[in-house]
Amino acid sequence: MTEDGELDLTVSRIIKAPRAVVWAAWSDPRQLEEWWCPKPWRAEVRAFDLRPGGAFDTMMHGPNGEENFNPGSFLEVVPMERVIFTTALTEGWRPASPWLALTAIITMKDHAEGTDYCARALHGDRATRDRHEELGFHDGWNTCIAQLAAIAEKRA
Amino acid sequence: MLTFIVIQMANYQPGLNSVFHALADPTRRAVLQQLMHGPASVTELARPFDMALPSFLKHIAVLEACDLVSSRKSGRIRTCKLKPARLSGAERWLAGQREIWEGRTDRLAQYAETLASKEKRS
Repeated sequence: MTEDGELDLTVSRIIKAPRAVVWAAWSDPRQLEEWWCPKPWRAEVRAFDLRPGGAFDTMMHGPNGEENFNPGSFLEVVPMERVIFTTALTEGWRPASPWLALTAIITMKDHAEGTDYCARALHGDRATRDRHEELGFHDGWNTCIAQLAAIAEKRA
Repeated sequence: MLTFIVIQMANYQPGLNSVFHALADPTRRAVLQQLMHGPASVTELARPFDMALPSFLKHIAVLEACDLVSSRKSGRIRTCKLKPARLSGAERWLAGQREIWEGRTDRLAQYAETLASKEKRS
C-alpha cells in the first residue's frame, strides 16, 4: 500500500495496556463510544457487526443538538490484530457517497510496554478532496460562522 | 462532519481563540455575513448599524487582526474582503483529519491505560 502525503495520514502510539484491553476497547461498541468522539460530543454506535461487510454506523451528537451520521462497514477483521473499515461502502458492501470517503486501517501489535497501535486513514483522490473543499467553503462558511459564534459566546 | 472538524480545530488550535473573540460579537458576525456576498466598502458595511464610524472601524480592525478580513484603501474608499483561508485550504483539510485521528488515538490510549491500571490493582 502506498501512502500519499497529501491525502493519507498515519497516527501511532505505544499504549501502555495489554493488547487484549486495547482490542476490547475497539471491538465492544459500548467501550468504543467512550473514546470515539471528543467531549462535549458523544458517540452513539448505531450498528456494529464486526465481520467483513458488516455495518459500522456511528452517530455523533453535538452539545447543541447537532447530529452527524457516519454509516460505513468493516472490510477486514483479524481479532487482536487488525480492523479495516470504510465509509465508501455500507452494510453488505453497498456503495455509498459519503461526505467524506475514507478507509481506516487499524493495527495493534504486542510491545514491551504494552501495545503498538497504529491508525491509518486513506482518503480518496484529489478531485474528491477539492470538491469537499469547495462544498466546505460555499455551503459550510455560513454554518461555520454560526457554529463558531455559538462556541464563542459560550466561552466569552 | 464539518461541525465536527470545526470543533476539533477549535479545541486544538490556540490561534483560533482570536477568531472566537471576533465572532463573539453580533456586529462583526453581520459584517462577515455581508462580506460573503462579495467585497464591500467600509461605508456600505457600516450603513445598517447605528454606530459612530470610529467604533465601527474598531470592529473592522478586530476582524483584520485575526485574519478573517483584509482591507485595502484606494483614494478615500476602504474596501473590505473576506479571507476564507482561515477556515479552508487543502492543508487545513488534512490537518483537520489528523486532529480527529490524533485525538481519537489519545482517547483510546487513555481509556485502555486506565482500564489496564485498574485491572492490575484489583
